[in-house]
Amino acid sequence: MTTLVYPQLASGALSQFPIHKTRRTRTVTNRAPDGSTIKLADAAGVTTEWNLTYADLSDEEAATLQAFFAAAEGTLNGFTFLDPAGNLLAWSGQLGDEVWQKGPLLSATGGATDPRGGTGAWTIVNSGTAGQSIMQTLAAPGAYQYCLTAYVRADVATSAQMSIGTIRREYSVTPSWSRIAMQSSQDAEATSMRFGIEVNAMGVVEVFGIQVEAQPWPSGYKRTSRGGVYENAHMREDVLAIAKTGVNRHSCSVNILHANHL
Amino acid sequence: MATFPQLKTGAVAQYPIARHTQFQNQTVRFVDGTDQRYRDAGAVGLRWVIPLSGLDESELAAVEEFFLANQGAFGSFAFADPWDGHVYEDCSLALDEVGVTAVAEMRGLTQLTVVRNR
Repeated sequence: MTTLVYPQLASGALSQFPIHKTRRTRTVTNRAPDGSTIKLADAAGVTTEWNLTYADLSDEEAATLQAFFAAAEGTLNGFTFLDPAGNLLAWSGQLGDEVWQKGPLLSATGGATDPRGGTGAWTIVNSGTAGQSIMQTLAAPGAYQYCLTAYVRADVATSAQMSIGTIRREYSVTPSWSRIAMQSSQDAEATSMRFGIEVNAMGVVEVFGIQVEAQPWPSGYKRTSRGGVYENAHMREDVLAIAKTGVNRHSCSVNILHANHL
Repeated sequence: MATFPQLKTGAVAQYPIARHTQFQNQTVRFVDGTDQRYRDAGAVGLRWVIPLSGLDESELAAVEEFFLANQGAFGSFAFADPWDGHVYEDCSLALDEVGVTAVAEMRGLTQLTVVRNR
């Protein structure tokens, strides 16, 4: 992981509304005279750009942002950026994907009815005699505040543990869908974090909408393919203009760019 | 093949929905003033501009995922014309770019342009 990480605000949020994100791809198109086309996709040409607008930053927050900008030396140095409007987990709707590390006696089966009326929920079965977990490791900084959430239910009331790094908390799981949420931050020196859910011995739990956000409180669930951790992001400009709008009040705008090919 | 994302209401678009219809004809004009015309494309060109606002986080994320799954303008998908429900089997996004804005909690906006491939 890049050692430099984009700073959170004092509130634990990464940015303020509005957050504007632009995704760009590159398609090489050969257009024939009759209007038909032959296309070639360039997977390495994908870029993502964020425009973050800040208002009413405190002196301390503005100084933190200024210090980060100086450490990045404008556009020069890459840093780790966590999408402030995204779910940090990859394949959040595909718990069978290899990005998920599962206990040896844990199975995940998709297609269960989810709380939104679809079939996006997963049935997690632990056939072992000890707790088993399904986890994902992210190249995310330990010092951040994180919020891990998931919708859970079980035919027979039970409990499940959520974990962020080394911290675990137990939550009751009832026959009705409920959204459980865990907030935590970890060791400031940690350069990767594990997030997951542990199912009790011989337990069966249905899970939907597992999500990690770099903020203290959850927002609506966002299904992902690519996760929201962007390593080697760069500032878009070599200039950071911070306006002092009053006593202990600052405003500015920051543009961040991530390119697959860089 | 990716499926065009539906909003929670089940709709694929919000008002206003602009549909552009484009023919591609050629005209050969002769010295005596007469002309001969012919079709220069296999099918009529269709383009829909779909602005979306008031989206919640899930809906906005679904638009992003759809864009990424299609690799922008590369992929093709079936699209039901919001004007009349007719399904066009081979459509693509018109642009290699999509902008999504979270104005506030549960207030996202974006815009997609869909073209029928010929």
